[in-house]
Amino acid sequence: MAFSGALTLTDLSDFITPSQACIKPVEQTNKAPEKQLGAASTEIHIDSGGAYYEVSPDDPALSAPPRKLEQAQISLNDCLACSGCITSAESVLITLQSHTEVLNFLDSNSPGESYKLPTLSIAPQTLASLAAAISSRTAVPTTPRQILRRVRVFCETVLGFTHVLDTSFARHLALREHVQEFDERRAQSGQMPMLASACPGWICYAEKTHSEILPFIARTKSPQQTMGTLVKEWMGQTWRKLPHEIYHVSVMPCYDKKLEASRTDFYNSVYSTRDVDCVITTGELELILQEKGWDLSSPVPGELDDPPPSTLPELMVHPGTSSGSYLHAIISHVKTTSPTPLVLSVKTMRNSDYEEYILRRETDQVEVFKGAKCYGFRNLQNVVRKVGKERGVRVGSGAAGRLAGRAQSNRALERGLDYVEVMACPGGCVNGGGQLKPPASTLDAEGYPRDWEETGVAQNAKWGDKEWTKKVEEAYWSVEQRGDDADQLLGRVLDDLCPAGLDHESRNRLFRTSYRAVESDVVGLAVKW
Amino acid sequence: MALSYTVQAIQQLPGHEDRAWHVCWNPTKPLLASCSADKSVRVYQYNDAANFSHLTTISTGHTKTVRSLAWAPSGKTLATASFDANIGIWEQEDGDWECASLLEGHETECKSVAYSSSGTLLASCSRDKTVWIWEVHPDSDFECLSVLMEHTQDVKCVSWHPTEEILASASYDDTIKMYLDDPSDDWFCFLTLTGHTSTVWSLAWSPEKSYLASASDDKTVRIWRRVAQHKWECALVLEGNERSVYSVTWGPGKAPSSSLGWVAAVGGDGFIRVWELSENEDSSLHHNLIAQLPNAHDVHDVNSAVWCPRQGFQDLLATTGDDGTTRIWRVESKIDHV
Repeated sequence: MAFSGALTLTDLSDFITPSQACIKPVEQTNKAPEKQLGAASTEIHIDSGGAYYEVSPDDPALSAPPRKLEQAQISLNDCLACSGCITSAESVLITLQSHTEVLNFLDSNSPGESYKLPTLSIAPQTLASLAAAISSRTAVPTTPRQILRRVRVFCETVLGFTHVLDTSFARHLALREHVQEFDERRAQSGQMPMLASACPGWICYAEKTHSEILPFIARTKSPQQTMGTLVKEWMGQTWRKLPHEIYHVSVMPCYDKKLEASRTDFYNSVYSTRDVDCVITTGELELILQEKGWDLSSPVPGELDDPPPSTLPELMVHPGTSSGSYLHAIISHVKTTSPTPLVLSVKTMRNSDYEEYILRRETDQVEVFKGAKCYGFRNLQNVVRKVGKERGVRVGSGAAGRLAGRAQSNRALERGLDYVEVMACPGGCVNGGGQLKPPASTLDAEGYPRDWEETGVAQNAKWGDKEWTKKVEEAYWSVEQRGDDADQLLGRVLDDLCPAGLDHESRNRLFRTSYRAVESDVVGLAVKW
Repeated sequence: MALSYTVQAIQQLPGHEDRAWHVCWNPTKPLLASCSADKSVRVYQYNDAANFSHLTTISTGHTKTVRSLAWAPSGKTLATASFDANIGIWEQEDGDWECASLLEGHETECKSVAYSSSGTLLASCSRDKTVWIWEVHPDSDFECLSVLMEHTQDVKCVSWHPTEEILASASYDDTIKMYLDDPSDDWFCFLTLTGHTSTVWSLAWSPEKSYLASASDDKTVRIWRRVAQHKWECALVLEGNERSVYSVTWGPGKAPSSSLGWVAAVGGDGFIRVWELSENEDSSLHHNLIAQLPNAHDVHDVNSAVWCPRQGFQDLLATTGDDGTTRIWRVESKIDHV
């Protein structure tokens, strides 16, 4: 099997896995025909194309023609509504929001009344993954900017996309909104700490297992969905297209972004369209490249030039973390708005996936802000525990009832957290489940050349990917900021989107979303052992 | 064949309203706790003459069966693993057992819980196929250190090495896995033991620390020998059970100090069987069935068997059964007895 991120969610041990309790596949919506008295039983035949037919074996001539049976299908909305899985089942996602779906659409998108403007938005982490893979394969250092230019040429000339953008400007907008929300919460002594909202795996997990945490999660849309709003509403205006006249595809480092795009919150019912129509992963983009025989290692003309004056600034850099720098955006905001100088100290708790960031007043060392960066499933558990304990919210059920008095009295007197950048994947988004897998080493441990795929030996079973994640991280930061003044454009975007000014209502509509608890109604088999 | 020891009934401890799953001896105090599908934990005390009396019943608040128990090495804290997917941590306050903490995270039924020998780590496992490792902090606080997704099926049992920070887990996938902490990284599985042909239900380390016993649905108990720092191999297969073996326990008993002590196993056939194990001169394993008792819980399955770890009581065995009782036994030499 090729090392593509497209087919396997992951073999790392810290991701959230699908549940065993998915009940959807056994549902059959096919109605059985009314049974006639004494009617013969039927059999199911499979034709050469793999379709299933119900036939009457006794007298085929007399009975009804073979009836094609429907396949039971699971939609993404089923997944979102069901509490069976903690997160998405990859097989479901692959069939419904896949690269073939994108290719099929592009094939059928002929000029005419129903023509939709195909637009592609790529996450910076995706570009970093591709850059790391190309650099490692060719031994020629290649930056995400070069990759973006090459992918743009491919998508425009071969696939027929009219616009190929990256999502960093949308992130710029989302970060601004995030900081704004943080200020609102602090001023109104709202639910604190504020928890990051960009990771759909974390959102899904919280909705399904920790509804008590939902009030703490920021309501700011993720960069992907902000990009959706930008493309369909703002850029649509400049292109003179209505939202449903644009087909918006995003390329993401993460499978759960597909679930995010499918949320009803991001469905425009006026135009019957989604802000992001289809999401593919980095691995799926690589598959498309492979299928079309396009080699990303070949340079394209002008790939080192300054960005052309295009609609959006290209590859904006937000210093901080490679998962979006949410924490750092807030830290820098707190610092710059503080009346007295503040000093930042960083404490690594156990490893780089769990770090505490504390801002103290330079003069008297008084703590004014405490934030944390917290990646990976087990650290996510600890955040949930910590926030539950600090804020005294009910965590869980059952024996927790006996816990009440005790938990309160034990609550620490130290200052609680103000903000946590939560991501479900260890290593954050550069190590997302949809990213490319590390290239297979052709040398074994003793330096002998060996074809690992052929011999069927699983190499580096234990966290072989850590080194690779480091490479992707390096590639991510190898972009230097160039080009336009983003804030000037930002002002223009806001003016265009809400000419009457950005008030509470328009903020909610354009840049915020909401969450809801999914109650568990799936009961596993009554297990007695 | 005449066996040299007998399994003498000492006392029967009724009280659970549903099947009794597991029993656990306090390592430092004369206390014994049992848990049940009735969601309660019953705590007994005993005196030097091995007279047991009911001390208290903890209504745990777990919403489903309490499947297993573990005392911390200090003897001050009790952990409960429940089918409601949570782990309860219990401490005594003014004489009453209070829930000091609740560990959530497992998606489905928790099957087993275990403290490491230092008491600083707690492991739990579940039908959700995962093994979790928690660090024990002051004030009944816990931090999740690792979520290990190595097994392909329900994980039945977790057990820490008697002195080292090595964790073993047993599963419905017929394997046993062992885990270590990489100080610069994360916990990882360094070994998978295969050989059992059905579910592995229970694990027990030998008192001299280099052997591990496993009980399986394949009707056998396997003994695994440490052959290198991080390597164990199957050294012996104990047969004789007629049905699934649900529980195995390994203690010094009253065996000669030159031996490896006593292994007791119980299960679906209702027997208590006790073997004495020792190493031959060629370092192969010698086993000798020294005692057995049929119908230990009458017609019912026996769910667990545990040797008392406390000095002077190491010939005491506690068992629990589907009849809801906990029974205390002493394995006695026939010669002494006469």
